[in-house]
Amino acid sequence: MTLFGSIGTISLYGILFALLITAILTVTVRNLFHSAIFLAFTLLGVSIVYFFLRAEFIAGVQILLYAGAIMTLVIFAIMLTSRISDPSVSQSNHQRFPVLILIVLLGSFLILAIAKTPWQISTSLKTTNAIELGKALMGEFVFPFELVSIVLLIALVGAVVVARSDR
Amino acid sequence: MFFGFGVLKGMTVTFKNFVLSYFSKERLTTVQYPEERLPEKERFRNFPFLIYDNKPEDLRCVSCDICAKECPPKCITIVRDSDEAGKPLKRPKVFDIDFSICMNCGICEEVCPFDAIFMDHEFELAEYGRFEDLNYHKDDLLKSNEYFAKIRPHDAAEVDARLAEKAKKEAAAKTVAPPAVPPQPPQPQQN
Amino acid sequence: MDQIFVSIKHAILNLAQTFLPDWTIILLSILISVTAIAVFGPVTMMYLTLLERKLVGRIQNRYGPNRVGFWGLLQPLADGVKMLTKEDIVPANADKFAHFLAPVVIVIPALLIFAVIPFGRGMVAVDLSIGILFFLALSSTTTIWIFVAAWASRNKFSLLGGMRSIAQMISYEIPMVLSIVPVLLVVGSFSTVSIVEAQSGLNWFVFTPWGFVGFLLFFLTGVAEVNRTPFDLPEGESEIVAGFHTEYSGMKFALFYMAEFMNTFSISAIVATLYLGGWQGPFLPSWIWFFIKTYALIFVMMWFRGTLPRLRVDQLMGFAWKFLLPLALVNILVTGIWLEFKTPLNHVVTFAILAFCLTVLYLVNKPEIPKKRIYRYAYQD
Repeated sequence: MTLFGSIGTISLYGILFALLITAILTVTVRNLFHSAIFLAFTLLGVSIVYFFLRAEFIAGVQILLYAGAIMTLVIFAIMLTSRISDPSVSQSNHQRFPVLILIVLLGSFLILAIAKTPWQISTSLKTTNAIELGKALMGEFVFPFELVSIVLLIALVGAVVVARSDR
Repeated sequence: MFFGFGVLKGMTVTFKNFVLSYFSKERLTTVQYPEERLPEKERFRNFPFLIYDNKPEDLRCVSCDICAKECPPKCITIVRDSDEAGKPLKRPKVFDIDFSICMNCGICEEVCPFDAIFMDHEFELAEYGRFEDLNYHKDDLLKSNEYFAKIRPHDAAEVDARLAEKAKKEAAAKTVAPPAVPPQPPQPQQN
Repeated sequence: MDQIFVSIKHAILNLAQTFLPDWTIILLSILISVTAIAVFGPVTMMYLTLLERKLVGRIQNRYGPNRVGFWGLLQPLADGVKMLTKEDIVPANADKFAHFLAPVVIVIPALLIFAVIPFGRGMVAVDLSIGILFFLALSSTTTIWIFVAAWASRNKFSLLGGMRSIAQMISYEIPMVLSIVPVLLVVGSFSTVSIVEAQSGLNWFVFTPWGFVGFLLFFLTGVAEVNRTPFDLPEGESEIVAGFHTEYSGMKFALFYMAEFMNTFSISAIVATLYLGGWQGPFLPSWIWFFIKTYALIFVMMWFRGTLPRLRVDQLMGFAWKFLLPLALVNILVTGIWLEFKTPLNHVVTFAILAFCLTVLYLVNKPEIPKKRIYRYAYQD
């Protein structure tokens, strides 16, 4: 491919490599707060990969929801747990070796499965995928959409009820 | 009235301030300092200075040491002058005020019985050397009575009136009364 | 005159095309846009600080800075030198990694938003098909880094500032997103370029009833998102020392300051794009109109800063959840109704509905003023 296309490929591989590093750092860093920061970076990296795959709407929504709202929630949860940086709380896993073997097995199984599946690559869209998504959500998939919104409403009301103090 | 009316009223006040500050100079509360200055107030109190009447040798200070004793941070150093024979004179040989210590309280001016030390208005005295340049000696501190009358006219007029009155009373006492004969101590009665 | 920047760029590219292969031309064009933004952003921020100080000074009946250079124009350079040469103090107990990372990452969204702002006809850095969503997504990532900055300082006041800041930014994000929806309903696309082109002639969205309410909503929530007075409780200078950026000095503080001012500029620019017609205007070149509108909004923001006291935290949250959010929802409904009827009936109907909704919300939200107490002693009757 052209030199410009190869620059694109090189940058994609670079982003994926950086993503891998931040993901590894998320699970290996001792301080829980730092691993939350690295998780935010990992999610931002995933949205960059979405941009490369021409799914711009999903990339935007990924940043908006994950790195904006869900990471805030995760950080609040970490902050409200006391003694996260207490040295007596053990941060590492004592059952490392059996788990490593299990993960290697599972990982190789998954990689083989992914490599052997014939993935269908869709043709590129003529309109913005936001418009297509909107039409699908309101047309074909309206029932799951409404159901999901009711579930979210129940969760919200439940959270408010649980968090209220008894008056 | 309607929701947000108070906010709008406040904002029109500040907008008026903003626009009119370009047009009327009296509205501005600051002056462009090195070019324009605010008028001096008479009782503004900065560092002290010594007064002389006509010549710098006629300074009013008699080195009584009261101001050095009363000074709270002890910034005044006085050494009394003495003539060749060693007899002390009513004049200071050394009168140092350390301006880096002086806190401009004005106590030295209040306690001086001879109206010799007063507070000046000079404030542009920045120096580079703290020990060399900010220790003011007697020659730097001497300023004339005319200067005092210029910066503090009311106080200077009052001090001058009081000194003139005292001088008149002394002159009157000298001419009217004959030289007084010291009273004899009572002779012991020979009994 | 209108296309002067575009023609400069084309001239450079044509000049380069004579001796460089094709793929470098694309790279060069990207590089030119990126350089223009990377130079424009910080320079704007520097001169916005000067503008703010002079404006607020004139509002307070005094001159702003006017010593350094004529009219104070070199003051930002003096400020820059000061910030660079200050000692960088990190508290001994602070979390060094997070303390270092927070100011660095908070500038990144502020700069990235400049990529989707249409500065003039054909002068947008990247014509993303999801322009407005990109802006919303980036402005919502700022929240978490403010909290990281607050937490990493290990300081009670910083933590308090950080918590208040998260509460404020999340609460005001919802009316902000909802107030953009009417524009998207009418235009039908996320791209900022098509939003500006849909307001051609003089039918800017602010002249319609739903557009006027949407403009006020978006502007107020935008001011709240950038943490400016009257919503600057997180960094209130007289209340909790300096809020979440207490423990930062020198260049790190300069980065926070830069992020705040670049955010101010981007919010004003996006409001001008969405509701005030972007670069549309009769006689002058397009980019001059854009800057006039943006700077008019920035003037209003600084005018707010010079006039209004700070909102208390419960007043702040009450305003967002009890007033702005219902108004934003009703605004979406009203836009739908406006699209259904024909002029001039839709103007009348929408105006009536919005006026009714505003009165109801005002009456519901009246602050409770307790009755005047009358004291009575027992021995009096």
